[in-house]
Amino acid sequence: MTPPTSSPPSPGAAAASPDASTHHPLVALVGPPNAGKTTFFNQLTGLRQKVANYPGVTVEKHLGQVDVEGTRVELLDLPGVNGFSGRSLDERVTMDALAGTIEGMRRPDAVVLIVDATRLETQLMLAEPVLEEGLPTLLVLNVIDEFEARNGHIDDEVLGEELGVEVVRTSARAGRGLDRVRAFLLETSRHPGWESPLGNSPAGSEATVTLPMIDVLSARRRRIRGALHGAGYTAPAMSGLTEKLDGIFLHRVAGPLIFLAVVLLVFQAIFTWAVPLMDGVEALIGLTGGWVAGALPQGLLRSLLVDGVWAGVGSVVVFLPQILILFFFLGILEDTGYMARAAVIADRSMERVGLQGRAFLPLLSAYACAVPAILAARTVENERDRLATIFVTPFMTCSARLPVYALLIAAFIPDRAVLGPFLGARALTLLGLYALGIAAAVGTAFLLRRTFLKGKGSDFLMELPPYRLPSMKSVLFRLWDRSWIFLKRAGTIIFTVTVVLWGLTQVPRIDGAPPTVRDSALGQAGQLIEPVIAPLGFDWRVGVGIVSSLAAREVIVGSLGTIYGVEDAGEDSFELQEALQGAVSTEAAVALLIFYVFALMCLSTTAVMKRETAGWKWPIFQFAYMLALAYGGAWVAYRLMLLGG
Amino acid sequence: MRTDFILTGTPMSDDLRLAQVPIRKTVELVRMELPEEQARSLMERGVLPGCRMCPLRVSPSGDPVVLVDGTVLALRRELARCLCVKTTDPA
Repeated sequence: MTPPTSSPPSPGAAAASPDASTHHPLVALVGPPNAGKTTFFNQLTGLRQKVANYPGVTVEKHLGQVDVEGTRVELLDLPGVNGFSGRSLDERVTMDALAGTIEGMRRPDAVVLIVDATRLETQLMLAEPVLEEGLPTLLVLNVIDEFEARNGHIDDEVLGEELGVEVVRTSARAGRGLDRVRAFLLETSRHPGWESPLGNSPAGSEATVTLPMIDVLSARRRRIRGALHGAGYTAPAMSGLTEKLDGIFLHRVAGPLIFLAVVLLVFQAIFTWAVPLMDGVEALIGLTGGWVAGALPQGLLRSLLVDGVWAGVGSVVVFLPQILILFFFLGILEDTGYMARAAVIADRSMERVGLQGRAFLPLLSAYACAVPAILAARTVENERDRLATIFVTPFMTCSARLPVYALLIAAFIPDRAVLGPFLGARALTLLGLYALGIAAAVGTAFLLRRTFLKGKGSDFLMELPPYRLPSMKSVLFRLWDRSWIFLKRAGTIIFTVTVVLWGLTQVPRIDGAPPTVRDSALGQAGQLIEPVIAPLGFDWRVGVGIVSSLAAREVIVGSLGTIYGVEDAGEDSFELQEALQGAVSTEAAVALLIFYVFALMCLSTTAVMKRETAGWKWPIFQFAYMLALAYGGAWVAYRLMLLGG
Repeated sequence: MRTDFILTGTPMSDDLRLAQVPIRKTVELVRMELPEEQARSLMERGVLPGCRMCPLRVSPSGDPVVLVDGTVLALRRELARCLCVKTTDPA
């Protein structure tokens, strides 16, 4: 099969894809998870990379550029996969990307297959399905320094002849062997459509005859073993460090204790250490908002920019430090290899509620934001397990709920000690709200696995990679990715929502002047739903807050500020707290807190759910279910509060 | 569901199971008593008849951590009970 050409004058490739507007050869990086693929990608491209989503799915597409001797090559970092069975989203995307069947994306001109040399026998299982794609392929034996240090041996030239590919030894982290990879990229760009002289056709007729999977895979492994044997392969000795560390981290007593300590550390970091940074960002937003206000004349534009854009987008950007800190920790935990162990420790507890160990990372990430958490659940191989996981993910208390909680708690919960000087009523309330979210997630997962998602889950299976020092470079790259994605969200969805809301407070014009909040379109919407929310103790003003926060829950803080005519409203605003105390009963405030624990008011989550489940069924069900739970929960809380006095 | 799906080999109830293998003893996989769908992710990770398996430790929840041809895998003990193994010749 001839790969499509994409040399600069190729019009065919240009027409096939928007990516092709650059006319540079496209090389895909493929490999199993944890083989060092991303470090490799970062080493080659530096900061010249961007993250986007594949059309139709939310699997992130990492695209970067490399210049080799003046020739530009585009590098595509595909998700890490173990096989090509197409059961997980990552696998489907990898297969489709290599086959060139993703709409709007051209087929790669060549492939760099990266495997971890210290686990060569199993990792090479991926080689055949990749080679069968018929693209020029370079096989990279990564982490070769560790392989050699542990007395592993292989003749890579013979291995290359056996498999029919070029083989390179690298250590991406140390930068070793990268020159030969660049040479391969250069070769690809000089001879697009170049076929390996050895021909990429391993024995096997899987495409034409359907054999039982076990025969196909057994034959595949036999060939891999044969090739390794021919190349004089000696497996490296076990890593003594990994053995020792697993003795501690998977110890019967110490293991779970360390696990708890790690989780607590992450929480401590997000909720305590992030605070000064968030205060700093908030101050910066206030300061710049002030400059903008000072520079513009009083009027519509100033109102839009300061009250709409600055306040709205600013209320979200404030969370950036928290999200960065969370991803910093998650990145380190993943890169060191600890995350796989944490999943092993969490597995049985997760199983009890119908989830599994792989759901641990998504659920932990959800404390910052449900959107990346739902994406992280892609590693859950079984579809029912994955659906159950992403369905309950938004119950975890994400950072967007914090300003709502902070405002209402500060306004309505007295600051008194409950258990000694360390645990006050306010802290206890916050803890209770977190616990309620977890309980809802657990209960919902339990119910789902007995109703809509009945059936056996997949068996939990986790590869435990050797422990390694995290590469600060790749952790920082990931932070860069995350902040960029987050800011883009703030800049699009939140921006749009706040501008629309601001617009709704400005119409209908009365004698050319903006209406009072009550008469504005937004106020009328609040009054429209007042009969529905009255049983919860809410009046039309709270209704406006709820309606305004349908797309993003944190927006309610700003809109309550608008409604009560408080300038510069934030969750720390005493003015707003006082105004609320006068207008909302304590019982209703508690009901409102409960409402926000359960309600799914986040357009981004719904959008991601739609893409990840390929349809509207699950996101609509999720939204309705969580809304019903929120309404019921708030009603019960309100009634109980009234009874308790 | 075809829970009785035998992937390869002749079933014998008194076969040695991976779950019974003592720590640090290397065995060879002979048969997987699993439906293909369930066996697939194992197979893709190299768990196939003929592979060498060596239990390294037991996790806090009592599940095995096994070395499979140089790769460390954690799996549930229910799964380990479906993997029939034989002791390797001390060659």
